Amino acid sequence: MKRLFTTIFMVLAVAGFALAQRTVTGTIAGDDGDVLIGASVAVKGAPGVGTRTDINGQYSLKVPAENNTLVITYTGYQTQEIILGISNVQDIIMTSGQLLQEAVVTALGISRYKNELAYSAQKVEGEELTRTRDANVVNSLAGKVAGLEIKRNNTLGGSTNVVLRGNKSLTGNNQALFVVDGVPIDNSNSNTGNQRTGRGGYDYGNAAADINADDVESVTVLKGAAATALYGSRASNGVVMINTKKGRKGKGIGVTINAGMNAGTYDKSTFITYQDQYGAGYGQYYEDDSGYFLSRDINEDGTADLVTPTSEDASYGAPFNSSQLVYQWDAFDPSSPNFGKATPWVAAPNGPASMFETALGTNNSIMIDGSTDKGYFKLGYTKTTDKGIMPNSRIDKDMVNFGASYNLTEKLNVFSSINFTSIDGRGRYGSGYDSKNLMTNYRQWWQTNVDVQDQRASYERTQQNVTWNWADPSDLKPIYWDNPYWTREENFSTDHRNRYFGYLGFTYNLTSWFDLTGRVSIDQFDEIQEERIAVGSIDPSLYSRFNRNFQEKNFDLLGQFKPFELTENLKFDALIGGNIRRASLATIRASTNGGISIPRLYSLGNSKNALIAPTEFASELQVNGIFAKAGFVYDSWAILDLSVRRDQASSLPEENNSYVYPSASLGFVFSEFFNANKNVTFGKIRLNYAEVGNAAPPLSVSDVYDVNAPFGNLSASLPVTKNNPDLKEERTKGFEAGLEMRFLSDKIGFDVTYYKQNTIDQIYPASVSRATGFSSKFINAGDVENTGVEVSLYFRPVHTRDFDWRVDLNWARNRNKVIDLGGIQNLQLASFQGGVSINAAVGEPYGTIKGNDYRYLNGQRIVSATTGRYLTSATSDIIIGNVNPDWIGGVTNTFRYKNLSLSFLIDMKKGGDMFSLDMYYGLATGLYPETASNNELGNPLRDPVSAGGGLLLPGVKPDGTPNDIRANAVNFGLQGYARNPAAGFVYDASFVKLRELNLNFDLPGKVLGDKKYVKGITIGAYGRNLWIIHKNMPYADPEDGLSSGNVQGYQVGSYPTVRTVGVNLNVKF
Amino acid sequence: MKKILMLLLTTTLFFACQKDFGDLNVDTKKPTVVEPGALFVSSQKELSDLMASPNVNINIFRLLSQYWTETTYTDEANYDLATRNIPQNFWNTMYVSVLNNLKESQRLIPSQNISFFPAAVQKNQNACAEILNVYAFATLVNTFGNVPYTEALDISNVYPAYDDAAGIYDALFVRLDKAITDIDVNSEGFGSNDLFFGGDMNGWKIFANSLKLRMGMTIADVNAAKAKTIVEAAAPGTISSNAENVAFVYLSAPPNTNPVWEDLVQSGRQDFVAANTIVDAMNALNDPRVPLYFTVDANGGYTGGIYAASNNYATYSKPSTTLEDPTLEGILIDYAEVRFLLAEAVARGFNVGGTVEAHYEAAIRASMEYWGASTAEADAYLAQASVAYATAAGDWRQKIGTQKWIALYNRGFDGWVEWRRFDYPILNVPDGLTYGDIPVRYTYPIQEQTLNKENYTRGAASVGGDVVTTKLFWDVQ
Repeated sequence: MKRLFTTIFMVLAVAGFALAQRTVTGTIAGDDGDVLIGASVAVKGAPGVGTRTDINGQYSLKVPAENNTLVITYTGYQTQEIILGISNVQDIIMTSGQLLQEAVVTALGISRYKNELAYSAQKVEGEELTRTRDANVVNSLAGKVAGLEIKRNNTLGGSTNVVLRGNKSLTGNNQALFVVDGVPIDNSNSNTGNQRTGRGGYDYGNAAADINADDVESVTVLKGAAATALYGSRASNGVVMINTKKGRKGKGIGVTINAGMNAGTYDKSTFITYQDQYGAGYGQYYEDDSGYFLSRDINEDGTADLVTPTSEDASYGAPFNSSQLVYQWDAFDPSSPNFGKATPWVAAPNGPASMFETALGTNNSIMIDGSTDKGYFKLGYTKTTDKGIMPNSRIDKDMVNFGASYNLTEKLNVFSSINFTSIDGRGRYGSGYDSKNLMTNYRQWWQTNVDVQDQRASYERTQQNVTWNWADPSDLKPIYWDNPYWTREENFSTDHRNRYFGYLGFTYNLTSWFDLTGRVSIDQFDEIQEERIAVGSIDPSLYSRFNRNFQEKNFDLLGQFKPFELTENLKFDALIGGNIRRASLATIRASTNGGISIPRLYSLGNSKNALIAPTEFASELQVNGIFAKAGFVYDSWAILDLSVRRDQASSLPEENNSYVYPSASLGFVFSEFFNANKNVTFGKIRLNYAEVGNAAPPLSVSDVYDVNAPFGNLSASLPVTKNNPDLKEERTKGFEAGLEMRFLSDKIGFDVTYYKQNTIDQIYPASVSRATGFSSKFINAGDVENTGVEVSLYFRPVHTRDFDWRVDLNWARNRNKVIDLGGIQNLQLASFQGGVSINAAVGEPYGTIKGNDYRYLNGQRIVSATTGRYLTSATSDIIIGNVNPDWIGGVTNTFRYKNLSLSFLIDMKKGGDMFSLDMYYGLATGLYPETASNNELGNPLRDPVSAGGGLLLPGVKPDGTPNDIRANAVNFGLQGYARNPAAGFVYDASFVKLRELNLNFDLPGKVLGDKKYVKGITIGAYGRNLWIIHKNMPYADPEDGLSSGNVQGYQVGSYPTVRTVGVNLNVKF
Repeated sequence: MKKILMLLLTTTLFFACQKDFGDLNVDTKKPTVVEPGALFVSSQKELSDLMASPNVNINIFRLLSQYWTETTYTDEANYDLATRNIPQNFWNTMYVSVLNNLKESQRLIPSQNISFFPAAVQKNQNACAEILNVYAFATLVNTFGNVPYTEALDISNVYPAYDDAAGIYDALFVRLDKAITDIDVNSEGFGSNDLFFGGDMNGWKIFANSLKLRMGMTIADVNAAKAKTIVEAAAPGTISSNAENVAFVYLSAPPNTNPVWEDLVQSGRQDFVAANTIVDAMNALNDPRVPLYFTVDANGGYTGGIYAASNNYATYSKPSTTLEDPTLEGILIDYAEVRFLLAEAVARGFNVGGTVEAHYEAAIRASMEYWGASTAEADAYLAQASVAYATAAGDWRQKIGTQKWIALYNRGFDGWVEWRRFDYPILNVPDGLTYGDIPVRYTYPIQEQTLNKENYTRGAASVGGDVVTTKLFWDVQ
């Protein structure tokens, strides 16, 4: 390979000859006289050569000498072909009523007419992604592409799960591949295994958040294997192709300034509502006569006083009674006005919700661009800041983009792009079942008598951890929870990521029918995450740091045979190419041992005990690929694409490390045959089949030992996963069929796709009986099938010069099934607190929730005839849920009246289950209103059964008769985890959300008057996540989870949704 | 310009391909070769941690033996083994972290240079690993009954069959005898990698004999003749003073501290108080070890929380400060236990010398000495009619069983085994349960049901049902 490249470059270096090329400019306007912005101008017979009109409807295009026809297309207008004469200025008037020949960018950055695609690709314009200014551009894709499931998490800067057409790989990566201008961009997250499984830690987000939304021209989503085969292995999950802006064509230098700000508040329907009748405690077993309080003589008057059981993080205690005086946590805080005082036993006026602050965000960007007939350049800078709803949380992003292209000679074009992104995070929200996640505290373990603002005041007065949760009034140390403000202000994380990605390349017109493109691209980031636990917290004090360095280099060489007429009706084009991908990842994690010595000094050197050696990881991967593709177009109605690729991967055993995979796509534009029928303006059928091979993760072939913390001497052990020296590649086989039609002068159109993909011979660490001495063993087995239907539809009910209404609908259903796991029946993907696990089980969808269940008789839950409580199943391997939705969809309505436009997006998910640890515990500890309601007799359910209290659970007794035994609920537990199976806390995660709302006003040209240097002003207002129209999950956002990745369907310490409104000003000079 | 650019690109590509393709898939941060001693170190620590830990996810034997009870979160004290997958965590640690590393260590012993590690040393090293193997498998059997043994620890067979528990015991006796024979007390063993005896093979020999004594006695109710032979053979070589206890000495700094410190002190939690079961029993006997085992309660006396009920932490006695020492040693077998075993042997008519009474008294004195009670306190204690062997209540099972249970405080697992063997003391029954509901074995891990189903099903059937109330093969009285 190396030698081949060298030779080719040498040939190129001495070659070089000139041929004439002309630059054509002009303005494109509609028949109503308004200029058309973004109209596509292409050169007939030269795929890939084309541009779009700018804000003034102007274009500038280099037209190769051998071509003389321009093709102008614009949605809603008839396509025009202009034959070029002598003049290099072509002003064009378009006739409305026809939509054809939209160009999309496909794999490897090659532009194709959508009509000529024989596979599913859906395009989203850049402006649709920046409308609501989400700091993570990935989030803005939600609901806009059929079959693309975007699942965001509610933590500030948290990761977003991006899956196309279902999960395919059992334990590998299932996230869609992000490609920016043909350069693959890493989108991993570095969240720990503990974080992903709800055991605490921070969600540091996913790396695609480094992409600058303001620089995005358009996004094309390539869904199936056929569309992506040329990207090789990792494109088997589909590709999100991002095309950045390519510099404004036209005279002079253009400047675009964007300024905006937004504010967010929490959505009450996604946070817990507290019962307001009972305070601290777990029941009636403390010291005083009532059993609800501690009994201590605090004021030393010789008689015992009532004292809150401060150690108890539940609200299953004494009924509130404003005339009863109780010594509470603040009676033991010397700085408090209530020090030494008993205060009324009442529900706190300021509950946990008073801690949420108004989120504030700003985004400012400037983009400078320009072009001449020799090339273009662009330079952009964007800064965004986001302050979250939790105190002391903030994420700042600085993004610089530079891109340029220049024709060194008539035949040689060089181009480059460099992007720099810096992300600074401070105080990301704690996640999981952990003392640093206050949502776990507030939703599961809380005293309703504690006033959060008093806790705040106490922290601000003392800068100490004065918690409500003292171990005991006589032992003033925190036991389970710190003061919440201490948690936020002292035990915070910081993180920083510097990222560079970009490329440098050339295109050489070797002959009139052959172009050669070479490109080197680099994607690299350095990341540090630092976590702190202050001295005085419930957890041992700690400083830890995690450094992660990632680098990927790609070397591409691509030869392109331009469309060539084999016969009069048969066009042929082809590609051959090679790619070398080299990726490396190195991490190091270090933390203090047994605490820190000097308070608030966070350095490894401040470790209380000698440091344990940091954990290092390093891996490298190289994949060498060569590929070829040939395309045939017959008489503009039959399209055939064939491709083949061979990869050689360093992560496979040497004798098995190369593999070949093919694809074939067939398109048939049947509307060519019934021109007579005016109602059908376009119709196409697509069929394709493709395979994609995939290599093993690095370091899964040969065995090594783990080195543990030394015990005086070196301590080593076998790893828990047995590697496999006989691995071969895994393979995805996909079939797809599609139908595209447009009707009534393109007023309405749809695209329906059916697909079936099987991923076989999967490389994964299969769980094995631990009696083997190992937890898992790498094998090549398994078959996961995804079948589904995707529909995208648009409708333009009104389309006049002044008023336009357009509806875009996307809908998809995916059915996932685990067909084979190589002999085993169940693969546990993660196990969680609460006795639930997420699994891939044979015959079931990927992502079943298993746990224990109720026992049933004739479909009714069985209740114990003695206790009145539910009986639960003996085992925990019963399927109690499935994380996969039945379908997902989105509807966007866009209205335009003259210069005013309004759009809104409703995003929907039907089905999919979620286990809530928040309800599991919170219903036991008596936080929710349903734990303090009245029973069927009208008596408080927490009263003793003997006094008419207790709860009559719906169900039957073991003999089948209806339950008539009221269960005792005097002490904690009846409605929560202690007395119910996990199945009782699985909820339907369906939702209907008003995801985006946007109002824009374009200042018309005449208002701007003579000040010609201002070319346009747009003023916008927007809202994000404004309204959850429908959901079934109580007190929480059904979309919220822990982290992006394969493990979904579990909530613990869930953060509320943030509703954001903002304003935006965009000025073009 | 053009040429420079081309040259640049060419050069870049050339260097990019420099590193040898095949070398990329090598882990540069982990060793491919280690000494057997390094694996022996980790298996010793994992074994000791597992047995010493009070973590509710992995070791709840102090609750099963009713030495401790829980305060607010009482699920484990109420025998909820399922929610936290406790049997699975125990099983997994034993097979994966302890046994597999012992096996790997043994595999590597012959690979050492014979001139530095002569045959006698290698033989000694192997014997050490064998003794721990026997200890670990005996513990698994005493927990679950039938478990994978002959087909275990072989990754090429991912469906290991379960062996009959009695048969495993037979095989373990053979291995133990071979290890005892192989030991050459005048040669080195694992040296400083031996965290129990620092390479002193004499210690291992005493350990092996004491373990043999214990295991022999374990089967005494089901096979008295075999037990007699084994016990009589082992008795002369067993632990003869507290100085010979088999103990794992922890260090003061994490992560090498006693796990009890982690859960009682480092965690800052208040999960455990003394159980009324043991505190009541010891108070009734005026046991001088009470203040050594527990702290004072809220009233300055000693009371335990009601077993398995919700208990207010401040009210009751807690584990004593002795247990809060990060360097507290983890005991695998000690002198008191050996003397109780000898007492039992004499009571059963085995010929091990001495009288029941003498061994019984010596055992109690050994425990007193270990925990720091004075000789005078021990004398006074033993002088009581309720304690003295001749006058204490019940038959030998009750007398020895009760005192042994008290002496095995902080060794929850052994306390649970001996309770099942002696059927004494009478434990408390959690609210809503019956005496028969108290676990006498662990259920198999849920993972075995899904990953090794056929063998699991056969194993479950052959022990008599995979429930906590199925008695193990030796639990026939």
